[in-house]
Amino acid sequence: MNYLELHDVRKSFGEIHALRGVSFGIGAGEIVALLGPNGAGKTTSLEIALGLRAADGGSVRLFGGSPRDVGMRRRLGVTPQDSGFPDNLKVREIAQLVATHYPHPAAVDAALDAAGLSDLAARRVGTLSGGQQRRIAVALAFIGNPDLVVLDEPTTGVDVESRRRLWESIGRYAADGRSVLFTTHYLEEAEALAMRVVVIDRGVVKFDGTPSVLRERFGLRRLSYVGEPLAPVAAAPATIVQIDGRTVVTTSDTDAYVRALVTAGAPFAQLEVTVSSLEDAFLTMTGGSK
Amino acid sequence: MNALTLVRAHARAMLVDLRRTPGYVIPTVFFPAMFFTIFALPYARYHADIADLELLSYVAFAIVGVTLFQFGVGIAAERGRPWERYIRTLPCPVWVRFVARIACAMVFGLAAAAMVALVARIFTPVDLTGMQWLQMGGYALLGGIPFVLFGIAIGYWCSARAALPIANICYLLLSFAGGLWLPPQMLPGVAAAISPYLPTRQFGELLWSIAIPGHPVKALIDLALYAAFFALLATAGYRRDERTRYA
Repeated sequence: MNYLELHDVRKSFGEIHALRGVSFGIGAGEIVALLGPNGAGKTTSLEIALGLRAADGGSVRLFGGSPRDVGMRRRLGVTPQDSGFPDNLKVREIAQLVATHYPHPAAVDAALDAAGLSDLAARRVGTLSGGQQRRIAVALAFIGNPDLVVLDEPTTGVDVESRRRLWESIGRYAADGRSVLFTTHYLEEAEALAMRVVVIDRGVVKFDGTPSVLRERFGLRRLSYVGEPLAPVAAAPATIVQIDGRTVVTTSDTDAYVRALVTAGAPFAQLEVTVSSLEDAFLTMTGGSK
Repeated sequence: MNALTLVRAHARAMLVDLRRTPGYVIPTVFFPAMFFTIFALPYARYHADIADLELLSYVAFAIVGVTLFQFGVGIAAERGRPWERYIRTLPCPVWVRFVARIACAMVFGLAAAAMVALVARIFTPVDLTGMQWLQMGGYALLGGIPFVLFGIAIGYWCSARAALPIANICYLLLSFAGGLWLPPQMLPGVAAAISPYLPTRQFGELLWSIAIPGHPVKALIDLALYAAFFALLATAGYRRDERTRYA
């Protein structure tokens, strides 16, 4: 049984169809990245999965039950939105309050220490910077030792060292058979961390699979060589530029271009083929918006 | 993490948060005692009978103030905050926050009432028996219930910006016309005419019945009716907020 299961979830706000049949699931031990341009339905999907909103149609199961059921939420940890803390509470007090809700929470001080927050534990949360508050928000999602952790943009505005630390702790967490769902604007983060990527665009799931499949299916390859560019060939659409005497071709089918190059008998040297990044794949899929 | 533990944890967090806000604590806890000192003390300091009634009036005044502000202004300010949204993702039933808030209001309400009682004890010949003091505490909590619900209704029907002035106006007008500052017999025309129908007046009647002959049962029934009315208003407001925010 999946920890979280959305099936054909639909949701409208007045005339706007935010979700038009979204389905995806998260199983034990999975790290899943939820990607999509702003306004694509990511946030609405998460809100419905967390029980903050009700779906118009379809079904949501959290640990086989309703996300509004307190019993199910005992196995769920979520990041609060930043800048939303009660300003006068100290970091440790907030962590303690959150931990109290869970049957088997982490030891608060140890958890803050592990997140590199022990220096801030006695500080009032209102005095901290945005990046520090973001790190606290992320630590709170883990503090109850839940089976499913949902992180909404966990590394936005966070320094490199903290980001690396978070990536490590997410990896360790999943290795224990627990699951992490996160959204991010940094595609390299999804690529580095996620076992699966779910891409939502215009209210539907456009892709659900591993990052490497995403890149292969939607990705472009880049081919470069020293030589003159070919006249445009029908085989595959390509953008061709010349940089420092090299011709750089970006296309979904580099093989066709190479064949055409050979067939034409054109002189070329130092041929290189590289797979473009997930970022490029993503832009191709969603038509340029991120 | 049983429900009681959660209530305690949330109430404690709210109390700590408020306690570190001097702008909240000082007016809330000392304002009724200050009013008592300025307006009631000149009359109350010479006669035990008057001192008793003034004390009971200002206890009601203190409770009404804390409940309207704690609930009305507190809920209006917080219901839209990301923190409340986050709390809803925690394994925490919605009612836990309400009970915690009520507990929190009780602490501040009793503190404000205790300040009034302290001033009365020191500067007036107030002569309530031990039993009467206890009765006062019990009635103060019981009679505070409709005002808690009134505060919740304000909190859910008013925006964060509107809640403070509205709670203030309700607080001051109801206290005045309810006979909590001036005895009902001394109220001017219109105020005197509407006074018997106000919840503050019935709260006063309930508390005054400790010191002078009165109709505490009638006052309790009226307060219960008010509680039912405000409960409906509060529930409707709460549902409206739920529909817009979490539907």
